[in-house]
Amino acid sequence: MLIEESLKSAVSSIRTNRVRSFLTTLAIIIGTAAVIAVIGIGSSASKALEEDIDELGPRTLSIFPSQRKRGGVSSGFNPLVIKDAEALADNNDHNWMIAPAMSGSRQIKYENNNISGEINGYLPINFKVRGFDLAHGRLFTEKENLGRKKVVVLGSKVPGELKKSVKQILNQDILVAGTSYKVIGILAEEGSTGWQNPDDDLYVPLLTASQRIFGTDRLGWINVGISNDTNVDYVMMTIEEILRQKHDIGPGGENDFRINDWSQFSDLRRQATGIFTALIAGIAGISLIVGGIGVMNIMLVSVTERTREIGLRKALGATHRSIMMQFIVEAVLLCILGGLVGVFIGTSLLYLFASFNDWPFAMPISAIFGSITFSALVGLFFGIWPARRAAQLDPAVSLRYE
Amino acid sequence: MIINVKNIKKSYNVGTQEVHALRGIDLSVEKGEFMAIMGPSGSGKTTLMNIIGCLDTPTSGTYELNGKSVSSLEDDELASIRNKEIGFVFQSFNLLAKNSTLDNVLLPLKYAGENKNDAVIKAKKVIGRVGLTERLDHTPAELSGGQQQRVAIARALVNNPSIIFADEPTGNLDSKTGEEVMNLFKELNSYGQTIILITHEDSVAQQSNRVITIMDGLIKSDNRN
Ligand SMILES: Nc1ncnc2c1ncn2[C@@H]1O[C@H](COP(=O)(O)OP(=O)(O)OP(=O)(O)O)[C@@H](O)[C@H]1O
Ligand SMILES: [Mg+2]
Repeated sequence: MLIEESLKSAVSSIRTNRVRSFLTTLAIIIGTAAVIAVIGIGSSASKALEEDIDELGPRTLSIFPSQRKRGGVSSGFNPLVIKDAEALADNNDHNWMIAPAMSGSRQIKYENNNISGEINGYLPINFKVRGFDLAHGRLFTEKENLGRKKVVVLGSKVPGELKKSVKQILNQDILVAGTSYKVIGILAEEGSTGWQNPDDDLYVPLLTASQRIFGTDRLGWINVGISNDTNVDYVMMTIEEILRQKHDIGPGGENDFRINDWSQFSDLRRQATGIFTALIAGIAGISLIVGGIGVMNIMLVSVTERTREIGLRKALGATHRSIMMQFIVEAVLLCILGGLVGVFIGTSLLYLFASFNDWPFAMPISAIFGSITFSALVGLFFGIWPARRAAQLDPAVSLRYE
Repeated sequence: MIINVKNIKKSYNVGTQEVHALRGIDLSVEKGEFMAIMGPSGSGKTTLMNIIGCLDTPTSGTYELNGKSVSSLEDDELASIRNKEIGFVFQSFNLLAKNSTLDNVLLPLKYAGENKNDAVIKAKKVIGRVGLTERLDHTPAELSGGQQQRVAIARALVNNPSIIFADEPTGNLDSKTGEEVMNLFKELNSYGQTIILITHEDSVAQQSNRVITIMDGLIKSDNRN
């Protein structure tokens, strides 16, 4: 019943001093709103990022040829070749997808239209690794690759560049560097990734590209598709082991290839967002502390104003503890109310911000509970001193107080 | 004997000056007495009441309440005595402004740790005794002065105390309502309730059965009516 009495007294005191209570908790409100908004924005942003990454398909490593040094002197690029890719594909330790590719720019002609197009030599699996979807027709098959067939799949924008509709160009023959290739499929729009624009490219079977177009077995790169739960370090070790063996690199020799882990970039971005979030949350936390000092101040005022009431309560039998509790409950309630209003404002801000940026709305429940708990703790901490002052008042003196 | 006070002194240090509010009071009060304390302003009446009401401790002297010495008790033990053994009625009523009649009367029961249902039953009963059953949900602002003082009396009575102390209970009331309040005190006393009241008015003091007069911190006279 004492807790109930304390709550009742706290509610009545806060209601009596509505404006003062609101102004007192303003710093708490702002602090909580900022914490909530920033944490929410951080988590919505990384959720948006994750969705972007998910759209990229499974996690991808890329192997590129790199300079080989002999005795400190660069001896040019040591190529990655189709046989390297075959060696990787023969390994069964990992459930990986080996997607070798070569590319180059060639003249493309259809009827009267000439463009310069980027030709990619792909295996059928490459489309899967890159997460490309087919919009019309079909992809080429492994059989067509082995048969070096003259078939081509177009990026979504290529028909337009050739001034033709999809219908007009699908299953027609176009000239690639003067040789005629049958258009068997057109990809869905993928969007630019910043440094690549798959929509403008053309795709032919790898062996066709190697033997009929580029006349080389040197690869531009090998993509390695791995599932998200794969141990990346172990995969990298296996790649190194196989390629070093294929390239005859002895112990101590430097790699003549490098492996990129694209997801590292997003990890970096995520880390940066995390640091930013922590920073702002820290500043907002300071605002909560400042708010706590404001609450302490107003509680001291409240204790002085209510000296007579405290004297009366003591005359009626209130103990040290029950007076302490009354004022601590009031301070905590004040802060929790501020925290709730702050959560509401912060969540609204996040909602606006997220819908403005077209991000998913992700508000961790833990942030809400955490910040309300924190404001309650602020109230507890800063309420103790005023509450002690109240509890230590001399009842006889307090009752004389005007 | 409910109250047995021997050679109680109380002095205050105000700056470098020492104020002797009580300078050696001997007093004993029997159960069922209705005693009035009179005396000029500043003579020490409230100070004496605070000490025998366990709101304050004397500078020296001994005090036994119901045969037990209270001079050396801790704060919380005194709080418990105030809660169970003593009921206070003040000149300015001292009700909690935002609370209803019922809640004001419930307050001592809450501090006594009483369970809610029992408390409400007890509180309603004493509110009935002071004739305010119709005003249970009224706040002090919605009550007349006399009614407010009756709520305060109900609050003082609710824990069934050994003594009721009233410091100028009629001081803020007109003579008619003052008389109603006095009639209530007399009625309570007729059922055996011990009452000590401070007053400036002879007409009020004459209604008690014992009047003591205090001057400069000493008892000057002690007369039974
Ligand atoms: N807390 C205090 N500090 C210093 N002096 C005090 C304190 N309380 C009371 N006094 C002094 O003690 C003396 C007695 O005060 P007390 O309030 O008991 O008088 P009283 O008889 O009740 O007067 P009144 O009829 O005006 O209420 C006064 O001189 C007063 O100034
Ligand atoms: Mg007085």
